[in-house]
Amino acid sequence: MSSTKARNATGQQSLETDMKLTVALLGNPNTGKSTLFSAIAGIPTRIGNYPGVTVEEKVGTFLHRGHTIELIDLPGAYSLNAKSPDEQVAVDVLCGNITSVTQPDCIVVVVDATNLSRNLYLVSQALAVGRPVLVALTLCDVAESKGIHIDRKKLSEVLGCPVLRLVAPRRDGIDQLADALIESSDWSGQVVPKALNTYLSQSAESDRPVAAADAIARYSWIDDITKDVLSFSTKHSRSLGERIDAVLTHRILGTVVFGMTMLSIFSSIFWLATPLMDLVSGGVELLAAWAELVIPDGILQSLVINGIIAGVGGVVIFLPQIAILFLFVAVLEGCGYLARAAFLMDRLLVGVGLSGKSFIPLLSSFACAIPGIMAARTIENRRDRLLTILVAPLMSCSARLPVYLLLCSAFVPNVAVGNTWFRLPAVVLASMYLIGILVAAIVAFVLSRTIFRGPPQPFVLELPSWRWPQPAVVGERVREAAVSFLKNAGTLILAVSIVVWALGSFPKPVIQAGVDPVSAEQQGEALRQSFLGRAGRFIEPAVKPLGWDWRIGCAAVASFPAREVVLGVLGVIYNLGDVDPGEEEGAGMLIRQLRSATWDGTDRKVFTLPVALSIMVFFALCAQCASTLVIIGKETASWVWPLVSFTYMTALAWIGAFCVFQLGTTLGW
Amino acid sequence: MRSLATVNIGTTTQVVDVSGDDNTSLRLLEMGLTPGVEVTIVGAAPLGDPVELELRGYRLSIRRNEAARVVVAT
Repeated sequence: MSSTKARNATGQQSLETDMKLTVALLGNPNTGKSTLFSAIAGIPTRIGNYPGVTVEEKVGTFLHRGHTIELIDLPGAYSLNAKSPDEQVAVDVLCGNITSVTQPDCIVVVVDATNLSRNLYLVSQALAVGRPVLVALTLCDVAESKGIHIDRKKLSEVLGCPVLRLVAPRRDGIDQLADALIESSDWSGQVVPKALNTYLSQSAESDRPVAAADAIARYSWIDDITKDVLSFSTKHSRSLGERIDAVLTHRILGTVVFGMTMLSIFSSIFWLATPLMDLVSGGVELLAAWAELVIPDGILQSLVINGIIAGVGGVVIFLPQIAILFLFVAVLEGCGYLARAAFLMDRLLVGVGLSGKSFIPLLSSFACAIPGIMAARTIENRRDRLLTILVAPLMSCSARLPVYLLLCSAFVPNVAVGNTWFRLPAVVLASMYLIGILVAAIVAFVLSRTIFRGPPQPFVLELPSWRWPQPAVVGERVREAAVSFLKNAGTLILAVSIVVWALGSFPKPVIQAGVDPVSAEQQGEALRQSFLGRAGRFIEPAVKPLGWDWRIGCAAVASFPAREVVLGVLGVIYNLGDVDPGEEEGAGMLIRQLRSATWDGTDRKVFTLPVALSIMVFFALCAQCASTLVIIGKETASWVWPLVSFTYMTALAWIGAFCVFQLGTTLGW
Repeated sequence: MRSLATVNIGTTTQVVDVSGDDNTSLRLLEMGLTPGVEVTIVGAAPLGDPVELELRGYRLSIRRNEAARVVVAT
């Protein structure tokens, strides 16, 4: 590409094609590639230490000396001989196989200075792409503190391309890199070093498979280079990172630390989030009160308060939990612990047919199955990936929590279990999480030995060196998660709330919120006659064995788009108007209403302990989440898997709820 | 012929070859487990599998299944 020199320094850039440069950022996972991307292009991207976290294609644009430079952040790759979807994306972008992305004019290979030898493998392949290559040495400060010295001049000579030193968080070397990018546009093309070519042509005579001989030849070349270029100033002593590693991957100590870490994350998701959730729910209430003042009584007020604010507000309450979970995951990822967690858990997960790499997706699914299923992209093997995606929604996500909490506090007697200090509601709550895990293990075990049967899959995982998580990067992860959650609440859940409101309000008179007992009765009748009520009564025979009346069935059906909707629907159905699960008084009122609910035309109470347990088990196992099903469809590129997920989970949920209800009734709970 | 899976924890040895010609063997080579390279078994996970290796100045974790493909010096 020919380049016009920048004449206009005032910032009035023209967007002529000859002024535009497309650059691809290529590198091994854990090289600080994403940090470098943010430092250059300023466009935030999530990063971490778990290999392959940069699964999304990210593009940023910046201006440098009159040139518009478009930077493509490629997924982390160990090799251009692609073995994972991530690596395939990297190869496809570099070769211009993806039509929506401009083929890069130049490749920046990000190389971890502390791990030169293995990183040079990818460089050796990038040199053969035919585009100008620039090597960006990152983590130079860390390498120097470890006593690793790299002769950059010599390295640049043997590679036949510029080698730049960068400390991305301090922006050291960023301008030089941008200058070099602009200069690179004048190069005619990249030449593969002669020495490498000699090794490669020798490898053709080897009796090994071609790809293996190729890999060995490249490493022979690398070993020659590192002998000349690398030097160590101090005798390699046991570093702090190695000592931390000795503890954290220790058979006993490591397991203890792991258990404690997971336990504290879980406790904080529940207890740290409570005050914040109260704050959000207070805000939602204020908004509802304000809407009541501003909007005149009638159908519009009902839509806004009972439909929109009750529906969306009830979901927005989970924002603190999502943010806190992602904060922990980002910190653990940033310091390199998540890869260790996969290492520690691998044997256990292999036992049920999964892999250590399934651990992160499954852990994330406790917050929300959507990021969990997306995180499964880092699993190279298709079989392991599909299995993980299929069982991930069985992990109890934060949307189920309010359902558990409400029913536990309303119907599970608050007594001690035996002589311990454990309270029964807490034990029931913990059991719901365990049921999800247990069922997931059984499902994975059965599937991996039936339709997913095959030879054992490889597990080759880098354990990145320990480093401090970067606050900016962690903050960006949390912000991203929060924004995408709110976006979901603002679109899908908003739409569902309106639809449920409409189905519950028509074709009979509109339901008003917070009214006296007489009209509450009328409301109940109105609901019975509404579309929602008719649907509920239609499916009553199917839910009766679970101990449910038509109103619970109704709420379960209406919560198909998202589990958290169920509370709002129960609130509407049991004559409450809007329900606010996070708020003491509101929850208390809903609890009283549920406790006093009776079967139509009788005095028999609807909600008993077995019924409450049956609802909880149903929601623990069901696939009532349209967004999860949509994501499964997207990630597997097929509509079959979402259908499979929905069918098997609904069947399990029904069976589980049935067993719990029948058992509970028989035992006279 | 001794495989990496039989090497004791804390031992350093040298890779002689990686057997097999599928993607797993190729990935092991690409991660730097090439003939002649020094590798240390640093540790193992709680249930004895996978193992943690150190080679070329970095840490790699592989299962004993994969380690069995790596032929090392006796």
